[in-house]
Amino acid sequence: MADKMEKNTKKKSNVFRHIVTATLGNPKTQGIAIPIFTILIALIVGAVIMAAVGSNPFQAYYNLLQGCGLAPKESYATYRSMLTDFMNFLSYLTPMIFAALAVAVALRAGLFNIGVSGQMLAAGFTATILVGYSPLPAVLSKPLVILIGLVAGALVGGLIGFLKYRFNINEVVSSIMLNYILQYVCSFLINTYFVDPISRQSKAINPQARLTLVDTPVGNLKMDIPLGIILALIAVVLVRFLMEKTKMGYEMKAVGFSGSASRYAGINVGKNIVRTMLISGALSGLAGVTYYLGYFASIRPRTLADTGFDAIAVALLGNSNPVGIIFSSLLVTSIDKGSTYMSSASGVQAEVASVITGVILLFSACGAYVRYRVAKMKDAKEEQK
Amino acid sequence: MSDYIVEMRHITKRFPGIVANDDVSIQIKKGEIYALLGENGAGKSTLMSMLFGMYEPDEGEIYIRGEKVQISSPNHATKLNIGMVHQHFKLVQNYTIAENIIMGMEPIKKTLGLFPTVDIKKANEDIRALSQKYGLEVEPTDLIENINVSTQQRVEILKMLYREAEILIFDEPTAVLTPQEIEFLLNIIRGLRDNGKTIILITHKLEEIKQVADRCAILNRGKLIDVLDVKSTTTKNMANLMVGREVSFTVDKKEPHFGKEILKVEDLTVKNRDNFEVVKHVSFSVHAGEVFAIAGVAGNGQVEVADAIAGLADAAGGKIMLNGVDITQYSIRKRTMEGISYIPEDRQNYGLVMDFTLSENLGLKEYYKEPFSRKGILNKKEFDAYADKLIEKYDIRSGQGKKTVVRSMSGGNQQKAIIAREIELDSPLMIFVQPTRGLDIGAIENIHRQIIGERDKGKAVLLISLELDEIMNCADTIGVIYNGEIQKIADAKTLTTNEVGEFMMGVKQHG
Repeated sequence: MADKMEKNTKKKSNVFRHIVTATLGNPKTQGIAIPIFTILIALIVGAVIMAAVGSNPFQAYYNLLQGCGLAPKESYATYRSMLTDFMNFLSYLTPMIFAALAVAVALRAGLFNIGVSGQMLAAGFTATILVGYSPLPAVLSKPLVILIGLVAGALVGGLIGFLKYRFNINEVVSSIMLNYILQYVCSFLINTYFVDPISRQSKAINPQARLTLVDTPVGNLKMDIPLGIILALIAVVLVRFLMEKTKMGYEMKAVGFSGSASRYAGINVGKNIVRTMLISGALSGLAGVTYYLGYFASIRPRTLADTGFDAIAVALLGNSNPVGIIFSSLLVTSIDKGSTYMSSASGVQAEVASVITGVILLFSACGAYVRYRVAKMKDAKEEQK
Repeated sequence: MSDYIVEMRHITKRFPGIVANDDVSIQIKKGEIYALLGENGAGKSTLMSMLFGMYEPDEGEIYIRGEKVQISSPNHATKLNIGMVHQHFKLVQNYTIAENIIMGMEPIKKTLGLFPTVDIKKANEDIRALSQKYGLEVEPTDLIENINVSTQQRVEILKMLYREAEILIFDEPTAVLTPQEIEFLLNIIRGLRDNGKTIILITHKLEEIKQVADRCAILNRGKLIDVLDVKSTTTKNMANLMVGREVSFTVDKKEPHFGKEILKVEDLTVKNRDNFEVVKHVSFSVHAGEVFAIAGVAGNGQVEVADAIAGLADAAGGKIMLNGVDITQYSIRKRTMEGISYIPEDRQNYGLVMDFTLSENLGLKEYYKEPFSRKGILNKKEFDAYADKLIEKYDIRSGQGKKTVVRSMSGGNQQKAIIAREIELDSPLMIFVQPTRGLDIGAIENIHRQIIGERDKGKAVLLISLELDEIMNCADTIGVIYNGEIQKIADAKTLTTNEVGEFMMGVKQHG
């Protein structure tokens, strides 16, 4: 009897095994198949949560897509449509791509840049006060904003790298401390000199300095056109090229994999640490200006952008691969961005969206474990043949 | 009921791109010393890993004491009274010997009749008794970090005995020991057999097999070649079967032709992190066409000498001259460009970036130069073509050729890759540190031939080794180091192995 039962469960697990190894077992497609698998699991878990709260998960997911302009919905105001929502979504997506690239570049060189938010703020604040309030024409001010963002971010990132190289201060410690310093220095300056008494934020910047063209009439619509998204896609291509095709990328990866072997090979490890943090900081800077002078037009004092922290998870979900990052930031940003509409349309609290994001990131962190289980199942399967 | 305590029948195990064991069957009697002999990648460790439950075979069956078993984990193996001493010890450094041994199965007593606590007193007594029974001589209360390698190995053996192991697997147990310690260990192994234990010895040192083993199974490229009765065979015969061709134990070498002085080390002093002098006022020189070997017991400063010459360690005093140029203050990269090839002792942490592909690793010393890169852009095609060339020329074997991640390659092939890369640099000075550590006789023979070959091409070779045989075989000149000081420099032909051994122990003084 017990024997029979055992046989039965074995048979069942065989079918399961077969499905799993067939879909996830191919080492060539594993890089894509496993993240998709973990995301699906997360969405199912999210659906169960929503069903438990008493809402229709399919409706809610659809609302989520509607909220970021990825699915059609009824026109709710003049000059607005799915397309305007989508453009707005892109504007929100842009800083996330930059920030995740910043994290990924550092990770490839074995560094953990947890200070992306601080670097974003430094870049955003500097660009705001230097260009944001000046009457310069758009053709001058927009490139200037980008340039200042690049430089300010790189300086903060470079400082973190230098502290590690010169004084062996762990980059995690120094970036957290710098986050605090930048956050409070900037908010002090904003509250003293640049505050808008009504919004309690920094005064809105002039539209010609803004990297998102707000309310631009296109046909019979008025939409926000994020110029930064083009720059972000260029950055993806450039970072990929840098990491895969250049001498610099080769050195950075070597340092990331093994500091001692790199030193043995004659690679200057300290120089590479500083250089990596300069690049990572510059990308954070671009995230900062597309965030504070793009999607927004002002800075709220005493807070750091969540984008800088979410970017860590986005970079990990995208396997630190620039192209992967496009997809992982699309996913995380769409849940984040769509949650407002979801909560108003289907009554699911916006917090549930955060829970789903959390679950996705949690499951994606299990990617290595899934790979291990799949490999084990494959072994077991072959054994039975 | 079978006569054999361990039977492995028709075992096959495949890894991506490689058949590690191909229909291997072995039968081991209770109370014998059974040796497994084979080159790197021959599959001996894989076979034993399956017996110890670290892998499961793809095909075939394992019988323990006549009963068919599926060993699913090392814990399961322990339950079947199988124990294994790994090449790399698994001990907690700041625990005592006794604490390490009892870990996981601590004797418990109830303090005040209530609180269960570890009865360390009983553990100490048990272990003392156990160590006396088998002649293993350890003091249970010593900390691991304070005892030497050979004592640590005895702790590993006690760990198995404490778990009542009947079948003891030793994976290359003598790789880390000095000649005297090896003698001692072989005696212990004999004692264990006389106490009724069954011993499986994985090794490629033929001398040891000849000394202790009863029978010997020879593996080559995953296949079982033969099982020999050790008494009625010669080491030469075993070696030939293992490699699959005739091997010579001594390296054929012509008389050396010394050229000009390539490396000159003057009054070199190196300090370690604790600011302690590990190399003290060392001077020597190496000529073109000369193999200069530094002999010494591990930890006497020889690795630091090599590191200082290659630039990985700073010289606290003295001068290093290469081809008449003072390179003491040069960076590592600049020294490589001046003409130093360096095969480091630690191939996994220094010699290779383990997560890079073979192709990327073979370019590690030249990636910044044309044709590997131009204006900062890498030429991947050039990397791959170069890798294919070296793989062919140096017979580097791996699962997926140049695209193989080096971490997945066998130790012998990792070393082949390093040596290939360093020889191809065509530097006037070649430094080899422990080039054959952990390698089998076929590979060792090959590397020795390469060392002599480089010498005959007119290279200056600095060889640093803990293996006295290797030094006696290859060296033209021998320098013996003890406690950071050179004891003796002499023509290799004028020294006997025993004399070198005495200088190594610091017994004989400068003369």
